[in-house]
Amino acid sequence: MAMPETDATLDAVSDEGLARRIASGLPGSTDAEEAELYRRFAPRVRLYGRRHLRDEAAAEDLAQEVLLLTIERLHAGEVQKPEQIGSFILGASRMMAHGERRVARRREALAARFMPTAAETAPMSLASLDAPRVAACLRGLAERDRLVLLLTFYAEREAPRIADDLGVSPGAVRAIRHRAMARLRDCVLGEARS
Amino acid sequence: MNASGCERLALADLTDYAAGELPASEADAIEEHLFSCADCSARAAEFDALLRAIRPAVRSAEVGGFVTDDVLNRLAREGVRVRSFVVSPGAMVPCAVWDSDELLALRLRADFGGAGEVTMSQRVAGAEVVRATAPVAGGPHGELIYALPASWVRELPVVEVEVLLTTHEGGEDRPIASYTLLHGGSLQR
Repeated sequence: MAMPETDATLDAVSDEGLARRIASGLPGSTDAEEAELYRRFAPRVRLYGRRHLRDEAAAEDLAQEVLLLTIERLHAGEVQKPEQIGSFILGASRMMAHGERRVARRREALAARFMPTAAETAPMSLASLDAPRVAACLRGLAERDRLVLLLTFYAEREAPRIADDLGVSPGAVRAIRHRAMARLRDCVLGEARS
Repeated sequence: MNASGCERLALADLTDYAAGELPASEADAIEEHLFSCADCSARAAEFDALLRAIRPAVRSAEVGGFVTDDVLNRLAREGVRVRSFVVSPGAMVPCAVWDSDELLALRLRADFGGAGEVTMSQRVAGAEVVRATAPVAGGPHGELIYALPASWVRELPVVEVEVLLTTHEGGEDRPIASYTLLHGGSLQR
């Protein structure tokens, strides 16, 4: 069994090393490692949740619940293969998304625990994705591109419905969506970096 | 975007995944990779941040442009105050925004025939202030919805706004419909 990595900065520690540090530390003594684990995996769990739960708030809740469960299991020594921590988190995401167990009190406690950390540890280029900046970039898109993005990621409509509305094929909707996301990313991140 | 080595997940893959466009087997494969590849972590974080930013931006009512009822319904459910005006071809319609309005929606009714794209031009005192081209599904009883931030409309003086819809066919612009909005300025309750 590999020993925990102890001499690297958190950024440089592998996912496995991070999991081992948390597993080998006492609860309350690994706050930095837990925050780093959250920073690395919460976006991926949110993406998973957004796709399977079709709800932004539920995806956010899922990320918090899954990461708390993961940390609890690590501390309890119940993660058998820390080298597969990603697979463990994906499995937990699947289990919790399917069950949709939501306990309001637990959620509030999770929010209090994670939200400030999550904000502080967001990558610099993403920390300033404020609404006016993104709104300006959306305004700058071609009408067709913007409409497809809004229908997909705001109104949460599927391609056949969007295709009917726009009088194009579902394949064309997909191609427009790819182009629109690339342009939105370039605009938003370009401004954020400048 | 991600300086590290793995290129397995491109922006297009993540876009298809998030849109729910992929067969289950492909989506499963993306999930397996996403959760096991540290290199793709930064790419996933960037994409997640973009998606999370879209909703508050749209909800801010500062985006505007062509929309559909699906978008307007979502805005209404989220508490955005939308004032709608339904206008038929040739109509002269009094129109204004109240101080609490956040978005103005023009429902432009027309016979679009077989048009696949329509260009809308808005002119104030002879000067074009908005020009936008949108896809339409066509048909004789169609409606295009164009949204304007109420904050922008509020800045207009009391003035007539001419709206013209055209389509481009056979190398020429064909008028579809025109409307006149009699803008009454910003109203207060």
